[in-house]
Amino acid sequence: MKAIVSAPLLSAANVDAGYGHVRVLEDVSVDVRQGRIVVLVGRNGAGKSTLLRALSGLNRPTSGRITFDGRDITTARPNGIVDAGLLHVAEGRRLFRRQSVADNIELGRYGLRLTEQEHGRRVAHIHELFPILQEKMNLPAGSLSGGQQQMLAIAQAMMREPKLLMLDEPSLGLAPVLVDQVLAAILALRAQGVAILLVEQMVERALEIADDAYVMQNGRVIASGLAADIAAGDALHAAFMGEHGAPHHSEPRQSQP
Amino acid sequence: MDIDVLAHGIVAGSLYALVAVSFNILYRPTNVFNFAQGELVMLGAMIFASLTSLAGMPWLVAFAATLITVGCIGLIEERIAVAPILARSQTGTGWVITTLATSLIISNFVGRFWGPDPILVKPPALLSMESLDILSSRISSYEIALILVTLVLVLIVERIYRTLKGKAVMAVAEDREAALLRGIDPGSLGRWSFFLGAAFAAMTGILASPVLYASTSLGPDLLLKGFAAAAVGSIGNNRGALIAGYVIGVTEAVGASLLSPGYQEAVIFIVVLAVLLLKPEGLFGSPNARTV
Repeated sequence: MKAIVSAPLLSAANVDAGYGHVRVLEDVSVDVRQGRIVVLVGRNGAGKSTLLRALSGLNRPTSGRITFDGRDITTARPNGIVDAGLLHVAEGRRLFRRQSVADNIELGRYGLRLTEQEHGRRVAHIHELFPILQEKMNLPAGSLSGGQQQMLAIAQAMMREPKLLMLDEPSLGLAPVLVDQVLAAILALRAQGVAILLVEQMVERALEIADDAYVMQNGRVIASGLAADIAAGDALHAAFMGEHGAPHHSEPRQSQP
Repeated sequence: MDIDVLAHGIVAGSLYALVAVSFNILYRPTNVFNFAQGELVMLGAMIFASLTSLAGMPWLVAFAATLITVGCIGLIEERIAVAPILARSQTGTGWVITTLATSLIISNFVGRFWGPDPILVKPPALLSMESLDILSSRISSYEIALILVTLVLVLIVERIYRTLKGKAVMAVAEDREAALLRGIDPGSLGRWSFFLGAAFAAMTGILASPVLYASTSLGPDLLLKGFAAAAVGSIGNNRGALIAGYVIGVTEAVGASLLSPGYQEAVIFIVVLAVLLLKPEGLFGSPNARTV
């Protein structure tokens, strides 16, 4: 496998980050290679979302180094990181609810110089992946169901044809059939060469579609490797139970959006 | 009540609406109310009056020079008085004091430089302040033009918000962080909005000066009523601002004709308070329109 030997597309090395004086991440190192799905798992508060925020420039790391596509982006501004091709679909979708679906999709290409043709091609591609959005183009984004909103949030990011897409809890609050659709879309994106960094509470489902996995606990990475190996190993169990956790494994609680 | 009262209410209301729109232009991407907005209106009127009436510059040249000058002052205000506050905290309210300070500084300088005497500003060619006798009303051709120009300006501003840049401003207004994640730079949009909002304020001052004269007292008066129009029309809603401007202008004119002119401000603000007590989000906003 050629992808494994080449340099990672995204590399976070020894990153510390947090909010104000509260340090959440400690010495976190994560690599994402071209065209792979990497899943971050761990309990609520393990630091997964904080890591995504550090990678997209919303929370600047206090130490460590982040490189993306050969560029140091440790102190880059969020719009610079987006321009480099690293897109972050935040938890809770964070759409512009008062604007139409069409406007939200158009905002996805903000700052890009696209010809009408190219713009049309990208929108058509989105409609191909998420046909339901085509029927809703003129409705306010806030009127969509949770699943449709998630699709729209991914569609916005697709307008930039990202090299790497980070998705924070895309299945949160969705009906099972919609979770399947979102996971299918993630696989379709990988097939087109897009790398995915996924934070997901549906751990088993996520590990099924992922290539690589990182297990986080209390702001640190406690295990990493091929997703299949992580699914079979002990680290996952430890991460969800804690050192003094309950003796039997249970599905982690979902956080409220 | 004769038609004259209504007509003059609409003329004044148009000016209040323009001030309200200039507030909105700045507010949308920054969530900042610029308390210096009234002084920017006044500055527009004073600079324009000096360039035309005193220096004899052609109307159009003076108009452009005034807009650019005041636009730049708005930009300087954003850099010095607003951006540093927002850089520390997006939800900080320190700008209340810093924009008020800017207002006082401008007012003070202008008072020193120009003195308190109002300057007469003539309307542009073809228009005049002489009253026409249409429908037994004493409205002038300039005032009719002012009403029409206001309508066109509000439509143009609304049109700008339908462009991608405009949609990005609305996106920042709704969720700044989400906008950041889509590659939108709220800082750059904020700077542009301060420049354009200040230039728009200056234009309002220019348009007002043939009716109200250019004087240093223009600022506080238009600030308050423009602010009231923005609030009653729902902050950020330009069509709402237009209607609310008319409501306030007409209320003022009617109040002055029925009661004594001394009560006209009280009447306006009683109406404003009543509207905001019944509908705190303004006449044209939905209760959940502002997400924080």
